[in-house]
Amino acid sequence: MAEEEDGQAKEFKLLGILDVQRTPCARDAILHGAGGSVAAGVLYFLATSRVKRSFDVGFAGFFLTTLGSWFYCRIHHAKLRVQQRLIQEGIKNKVMYEGTALDPTKNPKSEAPSGPS
Amino acid sequence: MAHPSQLGFQDAASPVMEELLHFHDHALMIVFLISTLVLYIIVAMVTTKLTNKFILDSQEIEIIWTLLPAIILILIALPSLRILYLMDEINDPHLTIKAMGHQWYWSYEYTDYEDLGFDSYMIPTQDLTPGQFRLLETDHRMVIPVESPIRVLVSAEDVLHSWAVPSLGVKMDAVPGRLNQTAFITSRPGVFYGQCSEICGANHSFMPIVVEAVPLEHFENWSFIMLQDA
Repeated sequence: MAEEEDGQAKEFKLLGILDVQRTPCARDAILHGAGGSVAAGVLYFLATSRVKRSFDVGFAGFFLTTLGSWFYCRIHHAKLRVQQRLIQEGIKNKVMYEGTALDPTKNPKSEAPSGPS
Repeated sequence: MAHPSQLGFQDAASPVMEELLHFHDHALMIVFLISTLVLYIIVAMVTTKLTNKFILDSQEIEIIWTLLPAIILILIALPSLRILYLMDEINDPHLTIKAMGHQWYWSYEYTDYEDLGFDSYMIPTQDLTPGQFRLLETDHRMVIPVESPIRVLVSAEDVLHSWAVPSLGVKMDAVPGRLNQTAFITSRPGVFYGQCSEICGANHSFMPIVVEAVPLEHFENWSFIMLQDA
């Protein structure tokens, strides 16, 4: 167990359920949400001087910023995973087909016309 | 495989399981946000000094708490349906294996090319060698070639069983008189463990499933040896 924690990031679960260390995009989303929450709450308070409502606005800022950051990061992450899979397939095919007619990096030869002129 | 006191999923060994893990992360983040919202509302309700006994309705909040759950459900449903249809795709399997549930062991038949069949019994605890896993090891493993689409036809000879391997994202009920089909591709070589997932009698907990994914050459050697021993 100690070796696992040294090798990987020690898990840290928000509300006991969300592991922000190991879940891709979770940490960034929560941090962006915290920043958005503070920004929204402070700006609203400066504009209106209403304390309780500022907390409400701050929380709404947290909710929306976290959600937005999460979706943006996850969509980008999904696209990267697709690219990674394509690259892996390409590397595998290159290794298997190198030097053969199926080599994807081989330049097609321009064939000279054969036969009687 | 699972480790003691594990709460989360095992590491994915197939593309479908990777997708399921990502969907789980997505759903969990939404659950986390909703939980935070509810917690905040509870604290706000408990600490407020505002009381109004004569409120009858409020159009604004009713619109919010109708639209917001609908939007959240759509955000959960779209990736969920995507994975559902992904799991149903037929990917031209290279190999078909029949997994038959018995009381209380599994039997596997590789009948694509030759008639290869064997039973897979759990290794009793007293017969384990150091390094083997209690209640998970079997005398014969279901060996498959890595990175090849495999179709498994699951059925049972007596009572209901269920063929499940969590790290591959596979679970299929074994129903007597019925053939159920599932398919998967292993992304990496390794040994993947599962257990019978439908109550089937006294030794329901003692009929595990072990899938070993090996390079094709090793698979060919293994099948040759198994045919010779049969």
